Amino acid sequence: MIPKTSNDAASAPPMKILLVDDDERSGHMLAGLLRREGFTVEVCPGGLSGLQRLACEPAPDVLVTDLRMPQIDGITVARLARSHSPAMPIFIVTAYPDLARRLDGIDPAPQMFIKPLDYPVLVEALRGLPRGKRA
Amino acid sequence: MPRSTPETRFAEMKRYVVFSDEDAARLAAFRATAAPHFERLTQEFYDRIRLHEEAHAVFTGEAQIARLQRSLVRWLERVFGGTYDEVYYAETAAIGRMHVKVGLPQRYMFTAMALIRVSLIDLAEASGPDGIQVARSICRLLDLELAIMLESYRDDSIARIQHVERLEKEVLGRSLAQAQHRYVNAVELARVVILGLDDAGTIKLFNREAERVTGFARDEVLGAKFVDVLGIDPDRDGARIRELLSTFFATTGEAATSPVTDVPPLETAIRGKAGHGRIIRWHFTHAPTDGDDVSVFALGLDTTDERALLERTKQQERLAAIGTMAAGLAHEIRNPLNGAQLHTTFLDLALRDINANSELLDTVHVVRDEIRRLGGLVTEFLDFARPRPLVVKPVDVRTLFDRVAQMTAAQAQGREVTVTLDLPTTPIEFLADRAKLEQVLLNLVQNAIEALERGGKAVLRARRQPRTVTIEVEDNGPGIPSGSPIFDAFYSTKSQGTGLGLSISHRIVTDHGGTIDVVTGTGATIFRVVLPIEGPQTMSPHSPEGRNDG
Repeated sequence: MIPKTSNDAASAPPMKILLVDDDERSGHMLAGLLRREGFTVEVCPGGLSGLQRLACEPAPDVLVTDLRMPQIDGITVARLARSHSPAMPIFIVTAYPDLARRLDGIDPAPQMFIKPLDYPVLVEALRGLPRGKRA
Repeated sequence: MPRSTPETRFAEMKRYVVFSDEDAARLAAFRATAAPHFERLTQEFYDRIRLHEEAHAVFTGEAQIARLQRSLVRWLERVFGGTYDEVYYAETAAIGRMHVKVGLPQRYMFTAMALIRVSLIDLAEASGPDGIQVARSICRLLDLELAIMLESYRDDSIARIQHVERLEKEVLGRSLAQAQHRYVNAVELARVVILGLDDAGTIKLFNREAERVTGFARDEVLGAKFVDVLGIDPDRDGARIRELLSTFFATTGEAATSPVTDVPPLETAIRGKAGHGRIIRWHFTHAPTDGDDVSVFALGLDTTDERALLERTKQQERLAAIGTMAAGLAHEIRNPLNGAQLHTTFLDLALRDINANSELLDTVHVVRDEIRRLGGLVTEFLDFARPRPLVVKPVDVRTLFDRVAQMTAAQAQGREVTVTLDLPTTPIEFLADRAKLEQVLLNLVQNAIEALERGGKAVLRARRQPRTVTIEVEDNGPGIPSGSPIFDAFYSTKSQGTGLGLSISHRIVTDHGGTIDVVTGTGATIFRVVLPIEGPQTMSPHSPEGRNDG
């Protein structure tokens, strides 16, 4: 029962977001909120399913991933995403921002969001992505 | 024979050998007979000496002998001078002293006198019927001569002995003074409590460190019982000490002459004069000696601080463990907070969709704000509990200030206060962790804004010194009560504050090798941060991986 709003970018195809989060309830809630903003959102409930999804076509426009996840973590997911699509914007939403230091040097640098997520800031950042960057 | 004046030594000697005025007159009368023989007598005298190797060795040479020969003639003239008064005595004593001075052995003085005596008696006996009387007078006078000269030897011996004694005394005195200097200073200057006790445990020696540690002056404790005066618990520690002392005194006799030092240390609590407690580790030594009633030395080390340090270290280790655990917990709290925040966001949007009343929306906003606050608290706590290493790079002060001003602009506007930047025209660049300094300045400027009334002013100022850069945050708010522990963790005057902001700022600044302090007075509060231009010089304890580690 996600409330609907009009899609701001009605003329362009909606931005496709891949959301990777092992916390299923939060993941689905965030996905619902983002869909309500007009984005297309796919949710993967862990690093492994995230990798599997990234191995398939079509690639998402943006990756939004948690970092600390069992077995396959967000670092691995982000690296794979970049190896497939070097310009893919990566948003990291994490309780452990220090872990992101392992992504230092990756270019362009991922954007960091510390939990609890400031939702309007995330939406603004997604909207602000240059269209050209979308894969 | 009554005398008006005390008898002189010479008079006493003359009385003893019965040297009378007749003797004197007889000698004077004989002078005319004897004098023509003086030259010959002295010649024979020295010829005799030349034949005697050892006696001859006393002289330095013929020149001296010639001189002495003349002296001997003068002496013979004196012997028959007829006046034998105190002047005569003094002259003979002077001759004796000369003998002492030149080191003439007494045996040669006697034997030489015997030679002269024999020659003079021969002369006397040959002179006529009175010759025997003259010879007796000669013998009496020559014996007086010997006696007077012997006095010189005696005086000299006494002087020598006195000199030796004085030297020995001086040496002894010096070594005593040395021993005193060394031991008194060693005892007095030692940073060890030193007590000397007698067999009854009475304090006989109490050094300066003992005074310092206990607060008692030695006058107050000398003669008092050691255990009583230091407030040592009589049942526990006191009993142990008594037991120890009794083992010392059980070893009497020969065994007691060598010090008993192999006694394990004993730690006791003592109470000082002001009632303050200290912990002392005692080493007892039994070293009895004749002539001193101090038989036990108690050497005490004040281990109070050492123990406290150990306690603090343990406490810090416990806190570090708790900190690690708390940091783990704090991180993990962010996940449920995230879930709550997302659901609240949804709730907010959904309530707007159905045009819910403002009261409901306000309620949701309160929850949202509280979650945000919790998130901020977690971040601040983690900054405090687990500081990250510094990332030192060149920092431009104007850029730094602009960012801080930008980030605080909304807040300043909301509270209707102004924040102005005060920078010199020449750019200032220095080495620092930009993000951390931004955090410090943000904290200081936000504090200033929050402290200000409407219309208040805050200034963010920077100045460069040869080796440092000084950054000031000044506000004209009400100030800070003096003595407030503003840099202590968890101290806050704000209802919404965590009390970690300034504490973290303080740590960041000190990690940079800088200082932060506050001047607060009427009309202005200035937080002043002074940082080295060249950045942190030593690796701070919070950046073990070094300054370039990102």
